[in-house]
Amino acid sequence: MQITVQAKSGELTFDCGQHESILYAGLRQGVPLPFECATGTCGTCRARVMAGDIDVQWKQAPGAARLKPDKGDILMCQTRARSDCVVRVPSELAIADAARPAARRGIIRAIRRLTKDVAHFDLHLSAPMSFQAGQFVVIEAAGVAGGRAYSMVNFAADCERLELLIKRKPGGRFGDWLFDELQGEPAVQVFGPLGRAVFRPAEDRNIACIAGGSGIAGMMAILDHAVQADHFRSHAGALYFGVRTLADAFYLEQLSRYVAASHGNLDVVIALSDEAAATPLHAAFPLLKLASGMVHAVAASEMAARDRDVLTYVAGPPVMVDSTIRSLIAGGAAIKDIRYDKFG
Amino acid sequence: MAWKRICEATEVAENSVKKFEVDGVPILVVNYGAGFRAIPPICPHMEEPLEESGVVARCVLTCTKHLWAWNLQTLEMQGETERPLKTYDIKHENGVILADIDGELTYDFDSEDDMDDDFFK
Repeated sequence: MQITVQAKSGELTFDCGQHESILYAGLRQGVPLPFECATGTCGTCRARVMAGDIDVQWKQAPGAARLKPDKGDILMCQTRARSDCVVRVPSELAIADAARPAARRGIIRAIRRLTKDVAHFDLHLSAPMSFQAGQFVVIEAAGVAGGRAYSMVNFAADCERLELLIKRKPGGRFGDWLFDELQGEPAVQVFGPLGRAVFRPAEDRNIACIAGGSGIAGMMAILDHAVQADHFRSHAGALYFGVRTLADAFYLEQLSRYVAASHGNLDVVIALSDEAAATPLHAAFPLLKLASGMVHAVAASEMAARDRDVLTYVAGPPVMVDSTIRSLIAGGAAIKDIRYDKFG
Repeated sequence: MAWKRICEATEVAENSVKKFEVDGVPILVVNYGAGFRAIPPICPHMEEPLEESGVVARCVLTCTKHLWAWNLQTLEMQGETERPLKTYDIKHENGVILADIDGELTYDFDSEDDMDDDFFK
């Protein structure tokens, strides 16, 4: 089937298969369609169907709340084409500068529990994938409705083994499946890479990463890439990692390795929201600092004290991302110096 | 021309926003330090309530939801912002902020959402 997209900047046509969303079909062919979360929550990929038959997968998607379905409004990430279609998007088509996303198959292996509700797993891809640190993939498993977005924890060129992180949430079907029901080494559908909150050493910037809970995943890839590129030889870095209690923190050994390799230029602070930090440094990992308070507040006060030109990455639960963006802007950060991908 | 009293200048702290209602018209007053602005209380992007999502710093109003932002002195759009802010004319007399309110200023979300043909020209 053929999809024709009309935008302010012109018109484009691409092919779309029966079993893929209009968004994924366009992206994998290099069409720079507007999107952020790619999983139905943000609403950025809204479009209006001008002609053709469609099939909406997740009608209650939160990102669809403001749409006018009677006028043909859809989320492209939740819609498949049943015939040739003409759709309009309200923005210009941006120029894609990252690697094109594609569909691959993946096999889940080596799941290991990191805390009571967080697990780390490997995803072996059917074909290697290039991506930028900070990007994510969307995984769909047979028998679990819908796709979930996971940021890569590791960074490598032409990567065949992605490391991913999952936080189990009450009622989360994918988490229940992965934690409890999964047998053997299941195959899943993988689409990616996606995401604009990327790290490129060539930008030559000091960086700060502010992560809440499982939002740490993409930050680990950013630090992985930065350490591989020896970025901290000439640039400052900071990671503020927010968790409820010290027992909820993880990746501490890996973070210690990154600090040790940073020529003294990377600061890692674990911010504890629900308990007081007993010591200024982690007792078992003395290269890591501890602080008490919500991570956005801890980061804001430390960053204010430094007064440095810095590119800031933010990831975590929607409420945490919102509070962090507020405190960064109120603290005088310019919007071009804040990067995040919105999932809520 | 109908100058109406909105509030005392001291009611809106520096670098903050506050919502008022004048004769049924909702108005957001923005204090950016060097001056005040009176605007409709919603972001022209996706109707976010600016009393919650708006942050004022360094003379810029930012809607923290999707980072649309405007310079409050020049009303210049910042970054990826695509629509201008609408403003009421105001004057600041004896510690009181007055606005020229001749009906409510609104944004036309429908024509944006409707993606009319002229939208692509």
